[in-house]
Amino acid sequence: MLWIISTLVFILLRIAPGDPVDAILGTRANEFARASLRIKLGLDKPLINQYLEYLNHLIHGNLGVSLNTQEPVKVIISKALPASIELAIFAILIASLVGYLIGFLGAVKPEGRIDFLGRIFGIGTYALPPFWAAMLIQIIFAVLLGWLPIGGRLPPGMSPPPSITGFLIIDSILNKNLEMIFSSFKHLMLPSFTLGILLSGIFSRSLRLNLEEILKKDYIEAAKSRGLNDSRILIKHALPNTLLPILTITGLTVSSLIGGALLIEITFSWPGIALGLQEAINQRDYPVVQGIVVIISSIVVMISVGIDIAIAYIDPRVSY
Amino acid sequence: MIKLNNLKNILKVSSILLILLQLSCVQDKKRENIIVASAGKIDSLDPAQANTLRTLQILSALGDTLYKIDKDGNLSPILAKDLPKVSKDGLLIDIPLRENISFHDGTSFNAKAMRFSLNRFMSIGTLNYLLNEKIEDIQVKDEFLLRIKLKKPSSSIKSLLTSVNLTPVSPNSYSNYTDKFNNKSFIGTGPYFLESFSPNQQTIKPFIKYWGKKPLNNGIDFINYSNSSSLFGAIKTKEIDVLISNSIDDMQRLTLNNMVNNDKLNSGEGNPIEIGYITFKSNTLPLINKAIREALSYTIDRELIARQVSFGTRKPLRSIVPPHLRNKKFSPWSKYNPNLARTLLKKEGFCNTNILTIPLTFRSNVPADKLLALTWRDQIKKDLSDCLIITLNGVESTTVYKQLSEGAFEAVILDWTGAYPDPEAYLTPLLSCTKIDNNNCLEGEAVFSGSFWGDSKVQELLEKSEELEGEKRLETLTKAEQLAANASSYLPVWLVKPKAWSLKDISQPEFSSNGLIILKNLKRD
Repeated sequence: MLWIISTLVFILLRIAPGDPVDAILGTRANEFARASLRIKLGLDKPLINQYLEYLNHLIHGNLGVSLNTQEPVKVIISKALPASIELAIFAILIASLVGYLIGFLGAVKPEGRIDFLGRIFGIGTYALPPFWAAMLIQIIFAVLLGWLPIGGRLPPGMSPPPSITGFLIIDSILNKNLEMIFSSFKHLMLPSFTLGILLSGIFSRSLRLNLEEILKKDYIEAAKSRGLNDSRILIKHALPNTLLPILTITGLTVSSLIGGALLIEITFSWPGIALGLQEAINQRDYPVVQGIVVIISSIVVMISVGIDIAIAYIDPRVSY
Repeated sequence: MIKLNNLKNILKVSSILLILLQLSCVQDKKRENIIVASAGKIDSLDPAQANTLRTLQILSALGDTLYKIDKDGNLSPILAKDLPKVSKDGLLIDIPLRENISFHDGTSFNAKAMRFSLNRFMSIGTLNYLLNEKIEDIQVKDEFLLRIKLKKPSSSIKSLLTSVNLTPVSPNSYSNYTDKFNNKSFIGTGPYFLESFSPNQQTIKPFIKYWGKKPLNNGIDFINYSNSSSLFGAIKTKEIDVLISNSIDDMQRLTLNNMVNNDKLNSGEGNPIEIGYITFKSNTLPLINKAIREALSYTIDRELIARQVSFGTRKPLRSIVPPHLRNKKFSPWSKYNPNLARTLLKKEGFCNTNILTIPLTFRSNVPADKLLALTWRDQIKKDLSDCLIITLNGVESTTVYKQLSEGAFEAVILDWTGAYPDPEAYLTPLLSCTKIDNNNCLEGEAVFSGSFWGDSKVQELLEKSEELEGEKRLETLTKAEQLAANASSYLPVWLVKPKAWSLKDISQPEFSSNGLIILKNLKRD
């Protein structure tokens, strides 16, 4: 799977119009300057040679160096990925809390007021264009109310703590810097809240639908007929059985968010992997684009395998 | 009742959290550094690689150039002690250098250091072709006397020496970087030294041993936001002190200007250095026909476009050289006159049943381009719908730049900022052509600019101007521009002034002649 993805990225980047030499030199450079840079970057070699070299490096864990900055791609990714993971984790926490709570309450009393509002909320958040919602939230909470910062990971002028894990909140805690903990948390709030709320609609809808379906099952009726009380039926019998689809949806959402939430990262100037990927694509920085896509794909594959293992562990009907 | 109590508890906890957060974000203490924000991160601080306004802005504070162009448009020495002395044949330029200047690492600045920096730029600089085409050799004649040997006489080389890209770096600190970029540090002679660097934030502090006028502030933090709305919001909420105008949408520029008018912000603007224009591919039908190009140049109402698209923040332009780079007013491109355009198109057999269609390409990631394209299209629809139709095609800018020299676009909206404040820096990149066949440019800058229009007379004038100085040089360049206007292979539209807004407790931003803020003059009250 990873081989197919890395090959596809390699081919697509070369097919796409645009040239890294143009991106670096501008369009006015003379042919000599272009040719020199092309040789320096190894872009003068036949495509098949470039491809084989790329695969060889990839197998040995070498993602290459950025054409633009000459910085190792590994270093670029290791700086940007923690920011995206941090954002993804908080967003998923908010989405799970809000989404599953609304979905659960809706399923418990179908067609009730909470269910009705929950459905509107679910459809609404799903239908909202992320960039629009992000800008609206930014304008309200940052510009008009001034409660939270506009964007970035830290206030202007504040230097980040020495990097231990790359996760700003964890590094701030490890450095015992209270001001930094507050600041980094505060900067994380708007983007994670926006992303979390936008995702919570899918979570609430999926939980509600699954729970509603399970509550109609025979074994639930059997439990009721045995005289078990409603909350026990719900928590002990119904909820665990909704875990499988929920786990799958949550897992896949996490893996997609690890790849970055581009529009959120752009709106809130969040220096994550998606923003890095977008910039690398604009600059036609082939190694950076290839490296980011391969790493993201690997994470998605790992999470998918993890979910499958978890499902097999939870559900006795599944065996491999 | 239990539920109500729970709700109350939740509200209490939320309120405490909110208060804590609010307390943590109160910024009533005065910031030590001035925070300057713009769009786009900085990947490299190496002057050999710098090509964005943001990078040049910070480098202009960290380093000094040999010369600058003063307010009257004259060359004025900075690191040089005097104006360059040019030999009679125009091939040797002697530059005396200032003494007792030290780099941020404590080593001395001298002719060897300057030669090292220029040679390094010529070897690895991404824009090294600008020098390599002109310079034969660089020699150290004395400890503080540099000699530049040219391949052919070049009067524009002096303006080139004002370029921030050529700011000297310490040979001692760059000894391991003679053939590669030093991205994350900078050791120059400027009024500030680099205290910390990350792509998203850079901090510079005053250099105590600086030889010239000392900075009026305690340091600058450069930060970036990835979009115009965030930058706009950041200055509105006073998260930043100074906002640089690159990448600010026109609507938000207007709002910021209104805030200046209402005495809520300060603002400063520099000489306009960016031009917006339309290139016509002049080597294939239909635009190979000069009359059609001429007709098109009559169809654009620049005043309307400047008003509608930029709310007056961009100025209409009828030349490809920014007016302030000349001593006298000169607008060789024709004014809006749809009737004349109709007459010309009719003469060429268009109008009524035969409607000419021109595909216009705009960069889809540049909002002003799209608005310009839409406005021009609708204006033509209103004025000349029986003669001419403009069809629009949005293409991402990287693709546009790549395909420009391949002749992919009949008409395309572009912009250009000269590498240094000189008419030549605008004319040569658009008009120069080294191989011409019947006004068809086969090799040269006109190919890269997508017009494919070449003229031997223009080329002759451009080359002649390199051997001239002063008024005569400007006159020669003016003649070249007049010929370009007659050919109508470009259509200048507007002029963009660099602008910056600052909070009321920060002094008004001042600009240098190359469109960069003079950071050392920023002062907090």
